[in-house]
Amino acid sequence: MGLRCIRTLIIFAAFTPFVSAEPKNYSFDESQAFLRTYCDTCHGKSGAGGFRLQRVSTPASLQSDQQKWSSLNLRVKNGEMPPKGAPAPDIDSREQFTQWVTTTLRAEACSGGVSAGAFPIRRLNRDEYTATLRDLLDMQMDVGHPLPADGAGGEGFDNAAETLFLSPLHSEKYMDLARFAMDYAAKEYKSRVKILVAKPGRGVTQDQAARQILQTFLPRAFRRPVTDSDVKPYLELFRAAQKQGQSFEEAIFFSLRASLVSPLFLFRSETPNPSPEPRRVDDFALASRLSYFLWGSMPDELLFDVAAAGKLHESEVLNEMVRHMLRNDRSHNFTQRFVEQWLRVRELGIDKIPDAKLFPTYTADEELRSDIRLQPTLFLRELFLRNMSLLNLLDSKYTIGTSTLAKHMSVTLPLNKNAAKQPQWVELPEGSQRGGLLGMPAVLLVSSYPYRTSPVLRGAWILDSILGTPPPPPPPNVPALEETKEGAPPKSVRERLTQHRANPACASCHSRIDPLGFALENYDPIGRWRDEDGGKPVDTSGELTDGTKILGPDQLKTALLARKDLFIRNLTSKMLGYALGRGLTLKDSCTVDSIVAELKENDYKAQTLIQAIAKSMPFQYQAGAAHIAKEERKP
Amino acid sequence: MSTFRKSISRRTLLRGAGIGLGLPWLEAMVPTSVLASSALPKSPVRLAALYMPNGVNVDAWVPEGTGRDFKLSPTLSPLQDLKDQVTVLSNLWNAASKGGDGHYVKEAAILTCTTIKKTPGADIGNGISMDQVAAQKVADQTPLPSLELGVTPVAIGVDAVVGYTRVYGSHIAWSGPTTPLAREINPRSVYERLFRASSAPQGNTAKMDTLLLDRVLGDAKRLRGEVGAEDRIRLDEYLSTMRSLEERVQRSTSVTRTAWKSRAPIDPKAMPTDRPDGHAEHVRLMMDMIATAFQSDTTRVSTFMFGNAVSNVSFRFLEGVSAGHHDVSHHQKDADKLRQYQLINRWHIEQYAYLLRKLKGMKEGDSTVLDNSMVLFASALSDGNSHNPHKLPLVLGGRGGGRIDSGQHLVFVEDHPAANLYVSMLDAFGAPVERFGDSTGPLAGLLHT
Repeated sequence: MGLRCIRTLIIFAAFTPFVSAEPKNYSFDESQAFLRTYCDTCHGKSGAGGFRLQRVSTPASLQSDQQKWSSLNLRVKNGEMPPKGAPAPDIDSREQFTQWVTTTLRAEACSGGVSAGAFPIRRLNRDEYTATLRDLLDMQMDVGHPLPADGAGGEGFDNAAETLFLSPLHSEKYMDLARFAMDYAAKEYKSRVKILVAKPGRGVTQDQAARQILQTFLPRAFRRPVTDSDVKPYLELFRAAQKQGQSFEEAIFFSLRASLVSPLFLFRSETPNPSPEPRRVDDFALASRLSYFLWGSMPDELLFDVAAAGKLHESEVLNEMVRHMLRNDRSHNFTQRFVEQWLRVRELGIDKIPDAKLFPTYTADEELRSDIRLQPTLFLRELFLRNMSLLNLLDSKYTIGTSTLAKHMSVTLPLNKNAAKQPQWVELPEGSQRGGLLGMPAVLLVSSYPYRTSPVLRGAWILDSILGTPPPPPPPNVPALEETKEGAPPKSVRERLTQHRANPACASCHSRIDPLGFALENYDPIGRWRDEDGGKPVDTSGELTDGTKILGPDQLKTALLARKDLFIRNLTSKMLGYALGRGLTLKDSCTVDSIVAELKENDYKAQTLIQAIAKSMPFQYQAGAAHIAKEERKP
Repeated sequence: MSTFRKSISRRTLLRGAGIGLGLPWLEAMVPTSVLASSALPKSPVRLAALYMPNGVNVDAWVPEGTGRDFKLSPTLSPLQDLKDQVTVLSNLWNAASKGGDGHYVKEAAILTCTTIKKTPGADIGNGISMDQVAAQKVADQTPLPSLELGVTPVAIGVDAVVGYTRVYGSHIAWSGPTTPLAREINPRSVYERLFRASSAPQGNTAKMDTLLLDRVLGDAKRLRGEVGAEDRIRLDEYLSTMRSLEERVQRSTSVTRTAWKSRAPIDPKAMPTDRPDGHAEHVRLMMDMIATAFQSDTTRVSTFMFGNAVSNVSFRFLEGVSAGHHDVSHHQKDADKLRQYQLINRWHIEQYAYLLRKLKGMKEGDSTVLDNSMVLFASALSDGNSHNPHKLPLVLGGRGGGRIDSGQHLVFVEDHPAANLYVSMLDAFGAPVERFGDSTGPLAGLLHT
């Protein structure tokens, strides 16, 4: 696609006006004028910091020098450039410029079609390690608990290859845990029989029995068929252990223990693609990609069998397999890890602990806390199982309820009386104000302070988690809110924020953030309904930057539904990033576009999202060897 | 409306971290014999860094007076009885941390003096931290090269607002530009680790471990040969950590095992709880772990994080504090918040003083472990409200084996490099470097001439 098409791309940019400046036709020349005005003094002839504008002065540079465009765009977007003290553009022209760069770069990156992208080697994260051992050894316990927690990268998930580092601490724990797990497996009947598929005696030598055991176990541990050259060293290890005086059983469990410390178990790696062209991954690799996506664990027997038959990649088989996998209880693991990281619900109980004095019931009631925490996870899981529209996440007639939640949310729910304490899918009464994620206490909690609500936190949370358009960071030296004068009555949060917005430096972003949060002021810091706050009626009014006036949660949801394209694109990006276990690149935005289009055609059906990802180029293919290094980060 | 699917029991789902493993290590281990103290070789120098998030209330931090004639500030007053053992450093800063965001750039660089790469994760980049320069120098002299500790797990997610992975805000120790070191947060696990590392293996454990490690290193080498250049970096991490385990096993069984002897026994009965009762007890236990590690000489290098960058741990257990740590640090000049901020700062200094006192109580020949240590207390910001990276709050405890001229308040010209402090510390540690980060030389007045 050449630059001729850029005008049409402006339509793309029109998705974002809600959260930022009004769109307008923007041209390459305007981008150049912007750069000349604000950057030329330092990056013109003098080339400060090793960057000259000349590198980005031709339309062709958008193709040939993507990296430069991306990084300059990021710096302008985050307000790092122009530097403090230099003349700076206002937020509108800043955003017109950055949106134009983003859209144009995406379009350029897509001109060659959808691409496969990298699939870097990564170790199992702590959850995956635990679940894999659970399924490999029939071990129903949190084996990986002693491992250090994993940080997150990419699209914000702890399965991102790029941030799964390995410290000396990991190695020591892997040694300990492998010993612990194998000692367990050697003792537990269910695990033992699964492992000890052969016994020496009656014409079976010790070597033969050991070989047979290894040939059965290693393919499952390494998640691929094994060859003799895989088995042989483990057989030798078995023999060496026997030489040290170990019995048959001790020696074979010792050898198996080693396989649990091997990188072939601990890492997910695929046979690299030597050709310059992308190629479809083999079905065993695909089975692992699927199982770690939807279960966070190793493939089961069925997946292995379908992979062995070479049928897994077939579209119909894959669709059915996705449905099957979502129905399996193991998919709970996936929804929980996805939802809790996407919505930041995982912070509950860690960084987000409501004040015990102000909210004693919440602090004391463990059942309430667990119901609150599980609600969004179970809600999304039901959308998958029922194959309902993902727009239910924005607003819905249904929710997940329990008697405890019903009481907390002050709604009457038609709960199954025999199991009112069990989370269940229920219809909400008319006017409940509880439909969608924004009606769920978990979400309202993570976007509050421990002792009060914060329209800023909630607004920023919506911009970031729901719409995928996080506000730019506050300037380095935030001017303090004006102090309340001695003796003057304390000001409300709304009054203080109004004052804050009077400062133009703050207004540009806060006029975007605050109104979204004000609309949710009917929910207290733990998500209960309130009509009054501090003895005064709650004021939920606000005006969006496009002039829309909103009042209360229902009108906020209507406004968000009007921006469903942004929401669906964000959800798709997050899900694709989670599925691939890496950060998305510019090239991946083409994949995102095509999945979004497919979702739209299918009424945003939840299973379509998963199926479309499972069938997408980056999920099914390996990039060509030469290709990987050239991938650019998204701007 | 249907009852939720039967097999998902909410209790099971939320079980999370509930199960302790109880590794049967105790029976298999015995402490190595301890030499009579008279035969102990020259006391080694130890180095630790304690990191406090969110900066300080500057008005209550800076001592009055300079040189030896100074008065500790209200926040630093818990160090009164240790005054001749500490050095307060004023006006140093870390130039590499000036740009970027308010927290991650500052915190991740506090010991690296390197500007981190802005990334949600794909191309993470920092420098090696000064503690790891020290650790790598003496790696073959103690069972553990270093001990990374904390009380909160790695922070969750990517901070989309500023565009950094929170991995940055959760690590101060970096063994290389792309490798942050994971921290242990369970005191009992630390204790087990120290005990085991300082014990001689029983029976043929070492032999079996060597066999096993040989096997998996073989797998790793083969895999490394098959993958692309990018993936090799990950396998190199694996290879290097597994090799160092193997070396440790070999050292522990070497017939000429003269390189290391425990300097003080680690008592298996003194094992701490794995479920501390609250933040304060948790921190105390971790201080104990550093002291145990240093006294026994299981390691000579340790870092500890009181919290991750932007930590909002509740300090309501302190009389007069009602809000979270980060919230209070954005005091907006509110007098009450400033008061609470100072109380939180002071509490951190109390914990620091507790560790110093503990080390001081550990006799080592004619001196004490504290005499032979350097324990740095640092925050990566001065005033947290403005994310100010100038005039870093820094205190150095201990005499570094007699090299440090302690008992002073050293005041430098503004924006003097903190890297100079690290150059001098590494010198006293026995791992001298020509330069570190933006250093311009040793820190004047710190070391005895």
